[in-house]
Amino acid sequence: MFRSLSLSILFHLSIFAITFLTLPFVMKKPIDVPPIISIDLIQISDKTALPFAPKAKEIIDKIKEEKERVVTKQAPPKIVKKEKQDAVPMPDQIKKKKPKETDKQNPEEVKDEIRQSSEFEKKELFDPNKIAALIDKSKEETADLQQKESLDITQNQDSSVSLDKGLTITQEDAIKAQIFKCWNIPLGLPYDEDLTVRIRLKLNKDGSILSSEILDHVRMNRPGQGFYKVLAESALRAVRLCNPLKMPTTGHDKWKDLQLNFDAKEMLKG
Amino acid sequence: MRNLFIFLLVLFYTSKSFAVVTIDITRGNLEPLPTAISNFYVDNPDQFPEKIKKLKLEENLPKVIKGNLMRSGLFYVLDNKSYIQKPKLSHLKPRFEDWRLIKAQIMVSGKLKVDDKGRLRVEFRLWDVVSAKEIEGLALFATPTSWRRIAHIISDKIYQRLTGEEGYFDTRIIYVAESGPKTQRVKKLAIMDQDGANNKFLTLGNELVLTPRFSPNGKMVTYMSYFKNLPRVYLLNIETGIQEVVGDFPGMTFAPRFSPDGKKVIMSFARDGNSDIYTMDIQSRKVEQITSNPAIDTSPSFSPDGRFIVFNSDRSGFQQIYVMRSDGRRAKRISRGKGLYGTPVWSPRGDLIAFTKIHKGKFYIGVMRTDGTGERLLTQNFYQEAPSWSPNGRVLIFYRETAGGKKGKGASANLWAIDITGYNEVKIKTPTDASDPSWSGLLSK
Amino acid sequence: MSLTNIRNFALVAVLGFLLSACATGGRKSGNDWYTGTDTVKFLAAGVPDRVFFATNRSSLHTASKQTLNKQAAYIKSSGISVVVEGHADERGTREYNLALGERRANSVRDFLMSQGVSGSKITVISYGKERPVNPESSRLAWSQNRRAVTVKAK
Repeated sequence: MFRSLSLSILFHLSIFAITFLTLPFVMKKPIDVPPIISIDLIQISDKTALPFAPKAKEIIDKIKEEKERVVTKQAPPKIVKKEKQDAVPMPDQIKKKKPKETDKQNPEEVKDEIRQSSEFEKKELFDPNKIAALIDKSKEETADLQQKESLDITQNQDSSVSLDKGLTITQEDAIKAQIFKCWNIPLGLPYDEDLTVRIRLKLNKDGSILSSEILDHVRMNRPGQGFYKVLAESALRAVRLCNPLKMPTTGHDKWKDLQLNFDAKEMLKG
Repeated sequence: MRNLFIFLLVLFYTSKSFAVVTIDITRGNLEPLPTAISNFYVDNPDQFPEKIKKLKLEENLPKVIKGNLMRSGLFYVLDNKSYIQKPKLSHLKPRFEDWRLIKAQIMVSGKLKVDDKGRLRVEFRLWDVVSAKEIEGLALFATPTSWRRIAHIISDKIYQRLTGEEGYFDTRIIYVAESGPKTQRVKKLAIMDQDGANNKFLTLGNELVLTPRFSPNGKMVTYMSYFKNLPRVYLLNIETGIQEVVGDFPGMTFAPRFSPDGKKVIMSFARDGNSDIYTMDIQSRKVEQITSNPAIDTSPSFSPDGRFIVFNSDRSGFQQIYVMRSDGRRAKRISRGKGLYGTPVWSPRGDLIAFTKIHKGKFYIGVMRTDGTGERLLTQNFYQEAPSWSPNGRVLIFYRETAGGKKGKGASANLWAIDITGYNEVKIKTPTDASDPSWSGLLSK
Repeated sequence: MSLTNIRNFALVAVLGFLLSACATGGRKSGNDWYTGTDTVKFLAAGVPDRVFFATNRSSLHTASKQTLNKQAAYIKSSGISVVVEGHADERGTREYNLALGERRANSVRDFLMSQGVSGSKITVISYGKERPVNPESSRLAWSQNRRAVTVKAK
């Protein structure tokens, strides 16, 4: 017992001594402390701003004014536009839908377009100019061709981006928020299985559901797919509880065909 | 020409994309499903014998079902005072708007009828109120003594239909009923329905009994007893009440469990300061030594396919969890975190192992994958241990003790249950203090 | 590497080594065995009937050995048979505590035998945490419960 005590004292004294001796030496080189940057975590709410915020509209209108002029000057020929009806809605087309006295494009619709382009900061994507060039000058040289090819690629990307959709990001968020509230996720589901339920909806103008269909309904009745059936039914209930959906008051053609992909993985994993 | 081709290409892609707007729904609410359980309607009350009339099954069956569904945490059963439609019409011709009005998404209705043979026929229907259709139905025959099981079987059916998982309501729990001062605790084996009903004591409390476990078919129990002051593992036949000691070991045997095929008992045998794991075949009485290590090896639990054993060992210096093959080879440590680990139990689904963890003076119940990854602690307490799985591998039952003050005052032991998601921690009511719970399999299997 | 650097490095290394030498190896061992006299009964005059253990440990420290020496002497001289009961505190899982109690009891039995007591005179039994002597939930109570008690065989 005394042996261990004396050893302990000896060691403690040694540490004392060494600390005393070494500290000044060890501290010779000061360490560069990088400046402290304070980070504020901002909570991003799942609901985005209302689709038609009036103030924003004014500002956007102003910006639009200038662009407007550029666009109208180079309004592409009407005939071709008809064929391209399914593409990005052209200024002229919208004019047909909502006739206005002036040659000005419908401020609402164009606003959508402008907003879309500003959101994605890809102005070259949405430039009627280029599209016009493509259509009009069909006998262009190779230089134009390259342009078009790049445009092809971007146009393809378009198809996966909401630019070509009938809905804007905020409109989409508004729909999401409604469904989120109506969807009672069955808690018992395994979270690491592939359980995505795709429901195709056909909507009336007032947002009420005309028809609903589960895209993989064959899977529902397969043995061993009990979980899928449960999830599919919960998704259907969600859709029916949310009926009628609050949809934008215009542009029915753009959103009359909705496909909702219900995927509970994120929620169940947590 | 090339330009035309490109033009068509562009046309094709852009025209395709406009057709359908696709939205990903990745969130919803994790609230329990709003459910209405209507009282069952009585078809021919005049033909009901007094025995059955007394039971008031039209109210009590729904009550038991409600208790089960609520306790699972996955359903919220609306108060029947708010129901608009009467039981008869709810069963024969439900008016879904009435149910939607009170915000129910699911409705349960039922009918009771005595047939010409005097048997009570119970019929139930499950309705999807939102989609306005019947989604499940069942008819069963009940006796005055088995009516609660009918309610549990119906609950299991509802649970399965709406969660995709097998239910766990038609089950029993065996546990140790405790009473008396901590220094001289009286312990008895007790058995009850999973909702606390039909509680029965199986031993008298003259000797200490510990850690009872059900056999896979629910008919036998293995446990440890200090009968004649010799701590040994015993087998008890629940129906006959006959008890017999397992094997003829020259020392303490403890921590017993059944193998998944019910043919063997696996346990620890302690001798000369060392505890190793052994099995004994119940029929042939053949004994096999599984571990052979100077450390303490205990709390063995088979995987549901019988190929592996998870157990508790301090061969590394401290209590940790190991998995080995059922022949004892290739023992590998799977617990990784800081602290002590004990009481490992393999889920009947085979995917998880539940355990008790002790760290910095706190006790935790947790689950981990069978390779030790994905450790999740579900609940923390001053003292709790010994989780046992529900047969569908979704709920854990365990016991908790509160701290004892001067002379042990205030110390109590109780059964608790928790979902493996960590939600829905509930206390299980028992007539006395309780510990060492073990869950049976589904009785209807 | 300059001489200064080498010296610094060496000094820091020595420092680290010495510091680690003073660290307690694992908090769980420690030496929290009970050293008091409450709860201690007597096998015979001047022969305490029990020894105490640190948390999770079954090793005997000096005081325990002194007690057991007295017990051994008494058992040999009186010719009685004894039962050594091993116990554990409540701060562990039940099954492991049964094993730990058995280990503690055997620790005592082995020592008594090493002091000349015949093995046939000593049986062991473990009570795990089932029979605490102090039902409180406090460190003191727990240390009093971590014990091995020698009782005269009936």
